[in-house]
Amino acid sequence: MRTVFLIASNFVREQRWPILVLLLWVLVTCVLGLMADVRSDREDLLVIFQQLPIYGIAFAVFIGGAAIHNERKSRRILAVLSKGVRRGEYISGVLVGIVFALMLYGLCMGLTGTWVLGQGGFSIALLWFLMFSFLMACVLASAVAVFFSTFMTPLFATLATGLALGIPFVMMLQFGRDWAYLIPVYLLLESFVKATFSTPWQPDWRPFVVATVEIVAFWLLASWIFARRDIAVALD
Amino acid sequence: MPGVIEFVNVSKEYKSWFPSRGMVRALDDFSLQVEDGEIFGFLGPNGAGKSTAIHLAMGFMRATSGHGLMLGKGFGDAATRRRVGFLAENVALYHRPAEQLVRFYGALNGMRGSSLARRAHEVVEALGLVSDARRNVRQFSRGMLQRVGLAQALVNDPQLLILDEPTSALDPVARVSVRELLLESRKAGKTIFLSSHMLSEVELVCDRVAVVNRGRLVRLGGISELLESRQESEILARGVPPNSFPGAISSDGLVRFLVEATAQRSALQRVWALGGEIVSVNPVRRSLEELFLEVTTANSSDAIGKGTT
Repeated sequence: MRTVFLIASNFVREQRWPILVLLLWVLVTCVLGLMADVRSDREDLLVIFQQLPIYGIAFAVFIGGAAIHNERKSRRILAVLSKGVRRGEYISGVLVGIVFALMLYGLCMGLTGTWVLGQGGFSIALLWFLMFSFLMACVLASAVAVFFSTFMTPLFATLATGLALGIPFVMMLQFGRDWAYLIPVYLLLESFVKATFSTPWQPDWRPFVVATVEIVAFWLLASWIFARRDIAVALD
Repeated sequence: MPGVIEFVNVSKEYKSWFPSRGMVRALDDFSLQVEDGEIFGFLGPNGAGKSTAIHLAMGFMRATSGHGLMLGKGFGDAATRRRVGFLAENVALYHRPAEQLVRFYGALNGMRGSSLARRAHEVVEALGLVSDARRNVRQFSRGMLQRVGLAQALVNDPQLLILDEPTSALDPVARVSVRELLLESRKAGKTIFLSSHMLSEVELVCDRVAVVNRGRLVRLGGISELLESRQESEILARGVPPNSFPGAISSDGLVRFLVEATAQRSALQRVWALGGEIVSVNPVRRSLEELFLEVTTANSSDAIGKGTT
């Protein structure tokens, strides 16, 4: 467990600049909250706030999709895996690192939302439930991205992740809502992007259950594949 | 008795996704055993398969066929790697202050607390990095980076050290201190597997060497055994005319010439018959460089057969 934590904290450290850029968006929302008249502009503020999870998902997909490849290409992975580190622990460390980063982002978003939207009458309980949904969606998206990154280059891993997350949404539009449960990232974010000041808090826990099972499945699959990959070969 | 590192008929093929690019066989039925407590030199030209063998032993890749053991466990065992120190060729490290980085790698090996801090400081000091211990390695020269790489390999006080070109970027002073460090490690009972192109270094510190070429083991043996196997002697004589022996060189009244070992006795008798005096007779010791060139430029059919240890 300590090994996973060490790899995760190192991952966050290495990704500090993208994380800071991510947090900049929260800061922008904060500044807008300071400048705007919350009571009259609350709908506009909500729309801005509802864009924030998209950046989190993008971070999860892009960073997750490139995580393994970049470490292999830079050869820094060799020094790490020459220690008593199992491949599964390495994958777990990368995933936990992405979750750490997104938890930080989610926490800042939640605090900003509580302050800015709370003044406009947004339900605080609903807001933190939405934060939890957002985090779950991000963890699932990053698990899918890391899974593809174990055997694909960043470009293809990102494309494959985009397809894996997007296809259930298209299927839902074509054939019905149940298809969205295939990989329920959209369902987890839906309540966030459709939330209004009058939305009552009625959580649907089914996407969370499916997401939890899928996160574990993708994590195990990624670990299994990565344990069988040659990591010290030329990548180009 | 099992070796510290053991390759048993290991082959490794690199296959491309595209059939037109074909397949490269980096190691071909490769067998080798490294004994406990020795400094073992692993030599070969570029692309011979040295790094592939090392990466297989470390578990960075899987053999196409055959198997191997490291400290009694199959290649790739994470728990075994805690007792191993590894330095990769062209070391790549995270950008952190040097001593903090060494502590990070030590922690990955399960070390913690004050013992980790103490050991990290010890190795940083041993490698002459104390004054730069708080500097970020991003600002380091290649030689300094290599020293940090060595420090992270040594931080867990490993039973087995696997070093891939450990002195290639070091200045002569640092090279000498690394050499001393290796000799001290051997004294402490550790085994060192050293892959290097610095043949003079290898000749100075290694007990045994293996030469690999095109993925096959082409020479294996003790340094003295390999270098003295030329079957020639150099005779130094006084009081004989230089033209009495083919290829003889004369200087300061001394005549120096080479003879086949089988012709040594007759050459000595001839010196005495000519009224001369023998000053010395020494077996000719070729340099490791000469041996290396000889075996790596020869046909690969010279490979040592299966099961060689």
